Amino acid sequence: MSSHRKNIFLGLGIAILLALVPLLTKRNDIINIMVLIFLYICLAQSWNILAGYTGQVSLGHAAFFGLGAITTRILWVGGYPFLMAFTTGGLVAVVFALIVGHPALRLRGIYFAIGTLGLAQILKITVGNILPTVADLPGDYIATYNLIPRYYLFLILAVIMVVVVYLVGHSKLGLGMVAVREDEEAAEASGVNPFRQKMISLAISSFFAGLAGGAFAFYQVSYYHDLPFSPTWTFDALLITFVGGVGTIVGPIIGAFFYAIFREFFARAFPELHVFIFGTLFILVVLLLPGGLVEAVSRIRRLIRAKKTDTGFS
Amino acid sequence: MGKQSKTPLLQVEKLVKSFGGLMALFGVNFEIHPGEIFSVIGPNGSGKTTLFNIITGFLKANSGKVTFMGKDITGLPPHQICRQGIARIFQLVKPFHQLTTLQNVMVGRAYGKDPATNLRKSKEEVVEILNFVGLGNKIEVVASQLTMAERKRLELARALAAHPQLLLLDELMAGLNSAETEIAMELVKKIRGSGITVMMVEHIMKAVLGISDRIMALNIGEKIAEGLPKDVVKNQLVIEAYLGK
Ligand SMILES: Nc1ncnc2c1ncn2[C@@H]1O[C@H](COP(=O)(O)OP(=O)(O)O)[C@@H](O)[C@H]1O
Ligand SMILES: [Mg+2]
Repeated sequence: MSSHRKNIFLGLGIAILLALVPLLTKRNDIINIMVLIFLYICLAQSWNILAGYTGQVSLGHAAFFGLGAITTRILWVGGYPFLMAFTTGGLVAVVFALIVGHPALRLRGIYFAIGTLGLAQILKITVGNILPTVADLPGDYIATYNLIPRYYLFLILAVIMVVVVYLVGHSKLGLGMVAVREDEEAAEASGVNPFRQKMISLAISSFFAGLAGGAFAFYQVSYYHDLPFSPTWTFDALLITFVGGVGTIVGPIIGAFFYAIFREFFARAFPELHVFIFGTLFILVVLLLPGGLVEAVSRIRRLIRAKKTDTGFS
Repeated sequence: MGKQSKTPLLQVEKLVKSFGGLMALFGVNFEIHPGEIFSVIGPNGSGKTTLFNIITGFLKANSGKVTFMGKDITGLPPHQICRQGIARIFQLVKPFHQLTTLQNVMVGRAYGKDPATNLRKSKEEVVEILNFVGLGNKIEVVASQLTMAERKRLELARALAAHPQLLLLDELMAGLNSAETEIAMELVKKIRGSGITVMMVEHIMKAVLGISDRIMALNIGEKIAEGLPKDVVKNQLVIEAYLGK
């Protein structure tokens, strides 16, 4: 069996198992933590395709998440069908991203990082001023609220996101993105249009971040409108990706899993301690293990394999 | 050359480039004909790399014109110039460090001239190119683990994968030992033999004289000589530029 096929079967198997979870347990705390994991997978993976694959570090990922959330919430509560509101949320994030990206991605270096950070903050403040209220769900929405459809929405979103990154990573488009990340001039000299690669990457990234925001708006009963614009979302995505393994497909998945579990574990006793722990982990990873947990796993595997071969020959 | 010289592959006219007050190129004119090996020589800082950078779109000239196969390509961005059929290697090699040699070369194949859409179908050709430059046994090795000589060959393979009609080699042989230089010279001859026109910058005189059809000499941004190798080396201005007066 080719490794391609193997990966697809493995992924499919895990997705099916995850789809069974609501049938096996009625515990809301488990469902909620799974939702959080899926949310983080989507958030981190969408950041990863832009930063990890294409080398463009966005510090304004929260802007895309927030735009998706606010658009979806307003349209959905305003009476539009949810799926329409949800898709529109993703598209609004893309439009915004491309407007910002068009000038910023032409510049090299840290301009894109700074530009996206600045714009995300401006959006957060603007939304906080215009809509300082809590986004409450109307009574009839709360009356029919059910966690299970939320679970599946997040699961499907995470699966699609992972599949998209996998397909892109194995395609010509992905090769061009990685080439731009590795050396922009060499990529150009080989016929790659770096600006185009970055814009496509940004479009995919912001679309899925926007959808994740929309799913959040569907899931969360009550929150301040500017909460999804908080820089925390950006740094969550960044920490998860780096700790898991930047530029890999498995990295953000592993990272999201750990991050959500840590978060739940410490939430009651020491709120925000998970950020501290993950921050420390982040520094350790950057210093000692630039490939993240994914690299740690493959190193351990290599060690084990080396041991086996040793004994085999002796 | 006779018949061929009527339609140059590349034509460079009155190229001027300054960096602030520094004149790097001062009205350079020349033509390259299909099928030849055209070498550019000159002391360090005479403007050779700058010339390459303008032809390949990495720098914009202050004035002047570059025509390739009858088309004005002046000021086009690098990726478009590559897709028109001009590929280059960098004097300071620029491998995609974390990618395997196969992936490195695949980038050229997927995005250069006649770009491949199906990467799997192009694998065979890419492997063939890697074999041609002598990296056939390093297909799955990541570029960061290659030696300097291997990186130079990788650079060459990536450029060849873009299917160029004109290949620009900026100091391909710099930093190679004499055995490696011999191999590189053979490669360049074979490349020309396959129908690709070569423009190269080289300091190793043995290599330049051994394989060039024509040579142009630059000094401080000006063309001081052009012609057959045996004539250019006897040129008084060239001798002075290299040895001092
Ligand atoms: N990007 C640049 N900015 C400023 N000066 C440059 C730049 N590139 C080259 N130069 C200057 O232009 C002159 C020609 O350089 P170059 O083309 O690299 O020479 P060569 O390749 O012949 O050694 C040198 O004086 C060099 O310092
Ligand atoms: Mg040079």
